[in-house]
Amino acid sequence: MLKGTGVSAGIGIGKALLIEEHSLEYTPVTITEPQAEKERFNDAVKTFCENTKKQADALRISAGDKEAEIMLGHISLIEDPFLTGEVEKLIEGGQCAEAALEQMCDMFISIFSAAEDDLTRQRAADVRDVKAGMLGVLLGIEDVKIGDAPKGSVIVVRELTPSMIAEIKKENIAGIIAETGSTTSHSAILARVLEIPAVMSVDDAMLSIRGGDTVICDGSAGVVIVSPVEEELKEYEAKRERFVREKAELDKFRGKPTVSADGIRYELVCNIGKPDDAAKAVDNDGEGVGLFRTEFLFMDKTSVPTEDEQFDAYKKAALILKEKPLIIRTLDIGGDKEIPYLGLEKEDNPFMGFRAIRYCLKYRSLFKTQLRAILRASAFGNISIMFPLITCVEEVRAGKLLVDEIMEELRAEGIAFDEGIKVGIMVETAAAAVIADILAKESDFFSIGTNDLTGYTMACDRGNGNVAYLYSVMQPSVLRMIKRTIECAAREGIPVGMCGEAAADPLMTPLLISFGLTEFSVSAPSVLRLRKNIASWTKERADEVAAEAMRLETQAEIKEYLSSVIG
Amino acid sequence: MVSQALIITNAQGFHMRPASVFAGAMAKYPCKVLIRFNGNEYNAKSPLNLMAACMKCGSEIELVCDGDQENEALAAAAEMIRNGFGE
Repeated sequence: MLKGTGVSAGIGIGKALLIEEHSLEYTPVTITEPQAEKERFNDAVKTFCENTKKQADALRISAGDKEAEIMLGHISLIEDPFLTGEVEKLIEGGQCAEAALEQMCDMFISIFSAAEDDLTRQRAADVRDVKAGMLGVLLGIEDVKIGDAPKGSVIVVRELTPSMIAEIKKENIAGIIAETGSTTSHSAILARVLEIPAVMSVDDAMLSIRGGDTVICDGSAGVVIVSPVEEELKEYEAKRERFVREKAELDKFRGKPTVSADGIRYELVCNIGKPDDAAKAVDNDGEGVGLFRTEFLFMDKTSVPTEDEQFDAYKKAALILKEKPLIIRTLDIGGDKEIPYLGLEKEDNPFMGFRAIRYCLKYRSLFKTQLRAILRASAFGNISIMFPLITCVEEVRAGKLLVDEIMEELRAEGIAFDEGIKVGIMVETAAAAVIADILAKESDFFSIGTNDLTGYTMACDRGNGNVAYLYSVMQPSVLRMIKRTIECAAREGIPVGMCGEAAADPLMTPLLISFGLTEFSVSAPSVLRLRKNIASWTKERADEVAAEAMRLETQAEIKEYLSSVIG
Repeated sequence: MVSQALIITNAQGFHMRPASVFAGAMAKYPCKVLIRFNGNEYNAKSPLNLMAACMKCGSEIELVCDGDQENEALAAAAEMIRNGFGE
């Protein structure tokens, strides 16, 4: 049995398909017929370009224009007349195509790696990709295509990349096993969206599993069993059935309102990242969208998206949701993301730097374009605006002032928008939680972003293995931040939601009910489970559990206590 | 041989897309097209050379065309650089 992290629930049983990264080693030979070798090189370039073109086309559909354009850039690199000219010279000098290509690519890799600006340094990775792809063609190594995996395959891979996921045909893949990755990695999120059981961070999976082995991939428990014996197979087939049955059980909560056992009504909405995801929210019976991240509009582009482009995206989501609420968060981006045209510089400490609302309030024309697009879209649905990374009340005031200015402009231009549009904020910094009493007077609603709130409160980067143990929403400090935020909102009579992962955590449900949360915003597949869970609590019982949890002094005690209560 | 001094105007200099577009456009002319920058000469028909030169917004360069259609090539190149590659 192999252990890892279950990142996408469910049981997958099937035949292992190993996705190998090939060795690109070769023995250099001296060339006596340079003409033939040059032809071999040029044929390889042609094949490489055809392959790349195909990959780009596939990516355009599954991942967007930006990824596709990066791939097409690889064609212009290998067709570079200087590069091909020099490679041909080296071949004439007696080197084989592989060695000549490698020498020239390595030269550019070292030039780019030594560059001062980050953007040029990143080009080294592109040249490395081109080199690997070209060597693969020259050495006649075929890529294993995930898209061609037969029905019932369990993918085993060192690292699952989002582009691999993009190729996957959902109906053919029983499970995914990867040596790296965690619950929050991008590909794990995609696996959950596709509802494919997945276990990541499985040490030596590629060594322990052979292609064709029967494997059980338990994405709920984070366990992989290779070549199971008869009893194990039976046991897991039963588990798979139970999982499917429980899923059917959850479906009973479909179409029902979200109410506690004693009849208190809650709003249960979804987090989405693209307009089309609004459809997934509706499919999973979400009652709206509590967080629409707008970064995708900016990430998939080579220049700032125009007002009309943004308007179309927001309007599209609004139309899918009809009258259901749609909270659009304004651009939340900083130096940790590579968006060349935004001119964001690489910072030593991007999460404490020039990002999100701070960036938007400085680059007002960019912010204005986004707000105008949101306001115009508000004529087509139930839209609210939400500002990220608020740390002081001036930021809320400045943002609202800009919204007022744009409303004035739109009125003057005779363009329709929702005059009653709500403007709220993310509470995701310790600063915002502490001054929630002040912020509540200026905001129409709060949404608590527990992921960042935990990180900022605990001064802890959850990606750093040495300190990740501190990262928990059940830290007494974080729970106090949450409680305070909710209480301040209640005092001003404004709605308060939660859009971090904690909103869907069953251990957190009694606390959130007791504190007085009014809206839960979760990933679409969590909707029904949470609705069922909320239905099992009364306010009275939740209050008892919360009182005891808040009395405890350590994260470990709190977690243990909640686990014992919830079982 | 003809030449002209120019200043790079697009925000990110010759990154991937502008370098590919510019080199691609220059490849259509039979003459040599060079960029002199920081005391070095770069082949302007090669995106890799253009990126390796690390020209940034505000960099002063000299564009040199030599051979058939050198005037046309120079005019086209200057136009593209002045427009910041439409970015």
